[in-house]
Amino acid sequence: MSAASPQSQSKARLRKRPRSKAAMAETRRGWSYAAPDWVFIIGLFIVPIVLLVVMAGSRWSLMGGNRGWNFPENFIKVFEHPLLLKSMGFTLKYTVIVTIILLALGLGLALLVQESSKWNSILRTCFLLPSATGLASASLLFYALYSPQVGPVTRILSFFGLMEADGSVLATGSSALWATTLVIVWRYSGYYMLLMMIGLQSIPGDLYEAARMDGAGTWRIFRSITLPLMKPTIVMCLVYCVTGSILAFDQFFIITRGGPNNETLTVVQLIYSFAFESKKDLGMAAALSLLVLVFLVIINSIQMRGMRDDTK
Amino acid sequence: MTRSNRFTVRSWKPLAAIAAAAMLISPLAACGGGSGSSSADIPAGGTDDGTKLTLWVRSDKERQATNVAEAYNKSHKNQIKVELVPSEDMEGKVGTSSQTDSLPDLLSGDVVRIPYWASEGIFMDITEQIDGLDNKDDLQQGHIDAGTVDGAEYTLPFFTDQSVLVWNKDLYEQAGLDPDKGPSTVEEFYEQAKAVADLGQDGVAGTYVGGQCGGAAVFMTFPMIWASGEEVMNEDGTKALLDGGASKAVFKMYRDLANTKNGIGAGSQVENCSTWTTPFANGKIGVMPYAGASVATLIEAESKGGPHIGVSAIPGTKKGNGSSFLGGDAVGISKDSKNAAQAWNFLQWLTTEDAQQEAFADKGDTASNLKVIENGYKDVDERIQIANGVLKNGRTPVSPRFNEAFNASGSPWQILLQDQIWGDSGKLKADNQAITDVLAQ
Amino acid sequence: MKTPMWKRVVGYILQALLALLFVSPLLWVLISSFSPQPGSSQIDGWGINNYLTLFGFQEGLPRYLFNSIVVSLVAVVFSVLVCTLAGYSFSRFNYPGRNLGFMVTLSILMVPYASLLIPMMVWFKSIGLNNSLVGVGLVLTLFQLPMSVFIMRIAFDAIPKSLEEAALCDGCNSLQALVKVLMPSVKPSMVTVGLLAFLEAWNNFMMPLYLVSSENAPLPLALVNMRSQAMGAIDYGITEAGVVVLMIPCAVLFLALQKYYVRGFMAGAVKG
Repeated sequence: MSAASPQSQSKARLRKRPRSKAAMAETRRGWSYAAPDWVFIIGLFIVPIVLLVVMAGSRWSLMGGNRGWNFPENFIKVFEHPLLLKSMGFTLKYTVIVTIILLALGLGLALLVQESSKWNSILRTCFLLPSATGLASASLLFYALYSPQVGPVTRILSFFGLMEADGSVLATGSSALWATTLVIVWRYSGYYMLLMMIGLQSIPGDLYEAARMDGAGTWRIFRSITLPLMKPTIVMCLVYCVTGSILAFDQFFIITRGGPNNETLTVVQLIYSFAFESKKDLGMAAALSLLVLVFLVIINSIQMRGMRDDTK
Repeated sequence: MTRSNRFTVRSWKPLAAIAAAAMLISPLAACGGGSGSSSADIPAGGTDDGTKLTLWVRSDKERQATNVAEAYNKSHKNQIKVELVPSEDMEGKVGTSSQTDSLPDLLSGDVVRIPYWASEGIFMDITEQIDGLDNKDDLQQGHIDAGTVDGAEYTLPFFTDQSVLVWNKDLYEQAGLDPDKGPSTVEEFYEQAKAVADLGQDGVAGTYVGGQCGGAAVFMTFPMIWASGEEVMNEDGTKALLDGGASKAVFKMYRDLANTKNGIGAGSQVENCSTWTTPFANGKIGVMPYAGASVATLIEAESKGGPHIGVSAIPGTKKGNGSSFLGGDAVGISKDSKNAAQAWNFLQWLTTEDAQQEAFADKGDTASNLKVIENGYKDVDERIQIANGVLKNGRTPVSPRFNEAFNASGSPWQILLQDQIWGDSGKLKADNQAITDVLAQ
Repeated sequence: MKTPMWKRVVGYILQALLALLFVSPLLWVLISSFSPQPGSSQIDGWGINNYLTLFGFQEGLPRYLFNSIVVSLVAVVFSVLVCTLAGYSFSRFNYPGRNLGFMVTLSILMVPYASLLIPMMVWFKSIGLNNSLVGVGLVLTLFQLPMSVFIMRIAFDAIPKSLEEAALCDGCNSLQALVKVLMPSVKPSMVTVGLLAFLEAWNNFMMPLYLVSSENAPLPLALVNMRSQAMGAIDYGITEAGVVVLMIPCAVLFLALQKYYVRGFMAGAVKG
């Protein structure tokens, strides 16, 4: 795997050597190329985050503004809220389902269409086209598809006897969950396929040839070459997908509104509700946002540890 | 501690950002006083000097707001520019703008949300101006009351949207009902809805409910309870009274329809406010409480081949005048307006009979000036007059926590409704108590 | 290894069905936008009335399109520029702060944007970016950074170090090496980054909703306003027409740029 990890080799070199002039120059160059990134991060991200932290510790209503420090009252109110556990449970369930389906499908599609041919390029385009819709448009589109009044889905399902003719796919918590999952899978499969393909391209072709010459079968090659070498990409997709799913909002906001009866309420919807709908309390919303942020940082660093171990 | 975790935390600390943020917060702490002009220097009739005024309106009132702005702009130097805000995001947009002192000159909003806005200091106090209006007594009082906090008046009526009962005459005829006679009691409502349901037509149902839409559900069911002589909340809006005899009768009627094939339209149980009027407008529903503001649209559609409709007040358990939920939007001058005198010019114009006639009555919409309601609809469709006639028996429930208890998605009221119609109807007492818990906060 | 004919045919049919499954909602929306529907502008017969209504709504379609183009351009230009440089830095240089930079960039992903809206708006107002389309483009760029910096880093990782070292030996400095030697190799990924930025900027409505007033609204925001003009009714006709109008530039770009990223992918890959 020599070609895959040039940076880990040079890292080893760096540790042994005392800091030299060359290393100083490298540091300077590294920072200057990363500078625009940092400008964005500091200017547009860190400042709002600091403000968010202040909000979480203050009595801060939607319309009334800041009315002084009250830490940790907002956190207590969040923990005591009856819907917190329910929304956390649902969000985790949704995250597991979506992540498994999307990663498997993304990798599967990438393997299916990676070879260059006219046919594959048509397939690729078909899989990618849904990613061209915005999440809000996609959600609206499926809301129409699911609507018993204008959409065909109810009629099709009831034709096959899978549901009652006057029912709705959004009527129960679990069917609403699957209906929303379908929107996300439809919208993002092509996207993950694209990311997986970028990962696949970094696997040197001669590795495959060598394996093939050794008589390895397709499954064997997949398990011993593709999967291990794809690990950084897969872990990154995992991080991205888990994070995105835990922060799921738009699709539920448009399609289910957390319904039926809060069965599909995600944590971010609860944040939105705290801020703009039920409590109109930005302090509570900020407090829950910070809790979510801390949670994500923890589970993502666990996931990324998986990536690091392998590149050593 | 893991590596990324430590890095992320450490990175926040040394940055000058904290100082910058601290600088941001200090002006915020002082906000609420408002940076705009004050109401003290507003002349009685306002100022008409060619100022451009912005007016925020929620998107489902686009048609009415455009009519109003056109009428005003035609006859004034000042020009109103209507900015639409998606209805679901109105509260967030107003909140954020209020914190950055960037509210528009004129701000309108759902009348059930206005008490909260007013109490948080979003509007400019225009008590003196409102009390100085010659025709104050002619105006829709509920919309002024909603924006009155501790004696200070902030808002005037903008749109009135009362709930009325509508039925589909075509379906009634097919079902062998008298197409000119809607239900006059809750029981007749059930019988007529069932008759339409029994037609067994594809996609046709007796009635329709906004099952996941607390706002539509209060609009529909509260008038039935009021018309039966009972209350939905105690006087100061801190206790729910939805476990009384009339409430039970209304919920049972819907439950019986839910147990009838095609009794309640497909999608009702999950209707989340997006499409609660659509099935009726498409001719698929027999009878239901409906938005009075949309009656004009229905009548217009009727002439283009839409369903023929009948209109009446919403009935209670016994025969009577029926009742209505007086909703709609109120409008005031925002705390951030720098053109208060010009904005007042618009508001006082809006209350005049001429304006109400031109912008509402002539367009088939409900006016907020009672004189116009009485005299201004001679030429319009009789059904519009019926829809306006329900105003005098209508009510607007006022509670600072109304939105959280009833309108918010997943509200305790929504849970109560779901249990009563489709779920465990034995939970009425507990569900009612859950609403009280929110109201009493 | 030769696969039997019938297996290949079955494979093709299954693949075609899968592709059809992905495309069918889009076909449905395209057809429905022209079809007659109660409650829309197209009531009787087939026609383009939904599109005409869309064209004349409030400020007018051209204005909304213009706003959308400005926002998208800003987001694309900044995303490609910032992410290419940052990817280069995080992949090719070893220095204290490298991992910090990468991790902090990734952490942008982890904040729910709904809770950043208010702090963001307060901050934008004080740096003079409120009600500015450029400001919206910059925020959208920010949310592109985590994924796109990652994409660029992987792309640079895949290039053998020897290539660049040769260039450096020829007397190029690191910037020249980047532009002359490395950029051609990472071009497919740059195109991908640009494309992703475009898609996000072109379709997003939440940021503009909070950051700009209605004459600066891009198309998706106008559509959200349009579809709920009457209480309790969605104008599905307008919504469908809007989805189609939003889709067209994206689909065209996909097709036009396909040759770039396909060529990139084919560099090393053999079917595994």
